[in-house]
Amino acid sequence: MQSKIIVISSGKGGVGKTTATASIGAALAMKDKKVAVVDMDIGLRNLDVVMGLENRIVFNIVDLAQGKCKVQQVAIKDRRISNLFLIPASQSDNKDVLTPDDMIRVSKELRESFDYILMDCPAGIERGFENAVAAADEAVVVCTPEVSSIRDADRVIGLLYSKQIPPKLLVNRIVPARVERGDMLSHQDVVDVLSIDLVGLVEEDEQIVIATNTGNPIVLQNNSKAGQAFKRIAMRLNGQPDLAIEVPRVSKSFWQKIGSRISFGKWE
Amino acid sequence: MLINDIVKKIFFKNESKDTAKKRLQFALVYDRLEVSDEALKKMQNEIVAVISRYFVIDQDQMKLNITRHDDLSALMFNTPIISSKPRQRMA
Repeated sequence: MQSKIIVISSGKGGVGKTTATASIGAALAMKDKKVAVVDMDIGLRNLDVVMGLENRIVFNIVDLAQGKCKVQQVAIKDRRISNLFLIPASQSDNKDVLTPDDMIRVSKELRESFDYILMDCPAGIERGFENAVAAADEAVVVCTPEVSSIRDADRVIGLLYSKQIPPKLLVNRIVPARVERGDMLSHQDVVDVLSIDLVGLVEEDEQIVIATNTGNPIVLQNNSKAGQAFKRIAMRLNGQPDLAIEVPRVSKSFWQKIGSRISFGKWE
Repeated sequence: MLINDIVKKIFFKNESKDTAKKRLQFALVYDRLEVSDEALKKMQNEIVAVISRYFVIDQDQMKLNITRHDDLSALMFNTPIISSKPRQRMA
């Protein structure tokens, strides 16, 4: 199969790009694809700790771009999921050490070794963003149901279109109970505002914090709703674009449902 | 006042997410209209090139502006016409 480069981006920081990259990468690798997840946040790397591979780093993406090592040397094999590899960022340089041309060159090499290459884009729309999107075939834009995150996502979506990279939206950290109360934008509201196709909806999940604490992949936990949502996102990216989008919902008993129907302020 | 609030609570949903959605939609309309000086200059040059095919214009006097109001935004291009170019008008 022809290899595909997908950039995971958001504009705003702290919306879950790194977790999404690690999780989607792991899920794709579990589908027997050879996957590289690349940390493009040079100077502020984090994908390594999220994946629990922080003490295995020898070379990094900057070394690879500067010809100091080969792809086989820089790619760190995951502890649990075979076929999953991390290419870490350098922690001592800054974003200007690489150029978009460097990334196009490096990406050509990476395409020869992997089926999927996921670029974990840094926050912002400056050089780090330019580098991360330089060789991308498609993009996943991550946002949370909050005004600042959605506004930044709109900016990034515009920039991606101008670069002819088709973006799809991942709405992260949905809290179904708050959506139902009307205190949080629903995924439909977000789609209305951004007018873009969805690739998936992920609900807020306490298990994400636990998985990150221990450096374990959330997609291996069958009881994690977020983990299962990331798995379905990976399937949509991997040749099943029409897989139905599951909307996170409040699980309620029959009497609770009746109760919310007749309570004040909930009449429709 | 109190009765009013209760009536409102019963018959209308006053949800903060609706406010968020409206504010976002307005903010994005403005954001998307914002053009960099560079893009504006480029657009001006292209407009001048088109108009110059039909008219001789005073390039020092022309003005390109984007004005914004609550319910509409407009692109205004003002230029004095010195003369037309009759030979090409038919083209």
